[in-house]
Amino acid sequence: MPLHILLPMVVLGIVGITVLLHVMGWSKPAALADEAAAERAWLGEFPDDPPKRVVLSHDHHAALVETQKGHGVVWPMGSDTTARHLTGAKISRTNKGLRIDLPDYTAPRIHLTLDAEEASQWPSLMEQTA
Amino acid sequence: MAQPDGANRMTDQITFPDVVSWAVPVFIAAILIEVLWIALKGKGGRYETRDAVTSLIMGAGNVASGLLLGFIAYGFFMVLWALTPLDLGTSWWVIAVCFVLDDLRYYWVHRFGHRIRWVWASHVNHHSSQHYNLTTALRQTWTGTFTFMMIVRSPLILLGFHPAMVLFCGGLNLIYQFWIHTEAIGKMPKWFEAVMNTPSHHRVHHGRNARYLDANFAGVFIVWDKLFGTYVPELEEEKPDYGLVHNLGTFNPVRVAFHEWVGIFKDATQPGITWRDRLNYCVMPPGWSHDGSRDTSEEIKRKYLAHHPDKRGTPGF
Repeated sequence: MPLHILLPMVVLGIVGITVLLHVMGWSKPAALADEAAAERAWLGEFPDDPPKRVVLSHDHHAALVETQKGHGVVWPMGSDTTARHLTGAKISRTNKGLRIDLPDYTAPRIHLTLDAEEASQWPSLMEQTA
Repeated sequence: MAQPDGANRMTDQITFPDVVSWAVPVFIAAILIEVLWIALKGKGGRYETRDAVTSLIMGAGNVASGLLLGFIAYGFFMVLWALTPLDLGTSWWVIAVCFVLDDLRYYWVHRFGHRIRWVWASHVNHHSSQHYNLTTALRQTWTGTFTFMMIVRSPLILLGFHPAMVLFCGGLNLIYQFWIHTEAIGKMPKWFEAVMNTPSHHRVHHGRNARYLDANFAGVFIVWDKLFGTYVPELEEEKPDYGLVHNLGTFNPVRVAFHEWVGIFKDATQPGITWRDRLNYCVMPPGWSHDGSRDTSEEIKRKYLAHHPDKRGTPGF
């Protein structure tokens, strides 16, 4: 297929599908129903490192996890979740909560939406292992 | 048949259509149909905007990398073509045989792609979505050229299949695999499931469940997995959990495309390990580590069975 047809078709296709999915409401971030759901999400990534304690954020979009190896977070990846240990993390406050910078090419930056109380409490817990 | 001395070969001027680019409108239409189907029925799969956009950009990048780097593989094939005395021509049965043999080639390249980290570094992005829909099919590599897996096609060229025909068959193979990336189709008729790769078989391949790791490498014909002992059926009681053993924490297509290469570089250049360890970080299966601190798929299965001994001997274990 000639490039002058292929290229606009690909661009329009990507833009069109993106708009359609967003309009249909399929851009909402994952919500963790309760602590047990957060624990399952963590174990999905680290089955050998079970949580000792799970703290769910007020909007259920993130969880702080304490394990034998230290602390970690569960956060939304679109309508799914992923998780990381916080080893080597740099944590800073933002208007919406916290920003975590990790020395991890696959998860370099995590933005957590937290209320004021969580945003002040979570860093002290996280920094115990950071 | 042998080529006539001093004469032009019968296939020297041959051209085949670039079937993948001609299939692009079909891909877009099929994605729209799948989206509408899921929206109307409330079942048959899931979509998420950023995940789908990443997949689509990966697909576009794959086409772009083919345009930029495709000459390397094609040049290599043309060198082999100049060397071989054989020319099988372009009759329909030659194309059919070429398609089947290229699918066998695909099986082994795909299996290497899951068992050799250097090749996995290219293939991993195809498995990096936690979704399984038609956009996942388009989440293709940008770095396939650097795996050097084009050498696995060498026997086909040397046997007398023209490089353009081999690439044409490879394109058809890729197009076939598009429609099997869906949860909207349950199971196909039994005779079809027995011979062909299907949505059900390929869902297993995308599963990160211990049971489903390193299974169903087929492109078009599932018979290769049955022949080489890598076939695992989709079990009603265990839905595939899609994605990677350690899922990505980014939708950035550049990071998706290159993250495993970065991982290999970091591992192989770390201080205090032997040169053999450095090599092993490149060529051993994903999850291998010099100190045993990570898990390969064998180790993941072993650990799973330690907690679920009743599952020993069931499919995938």
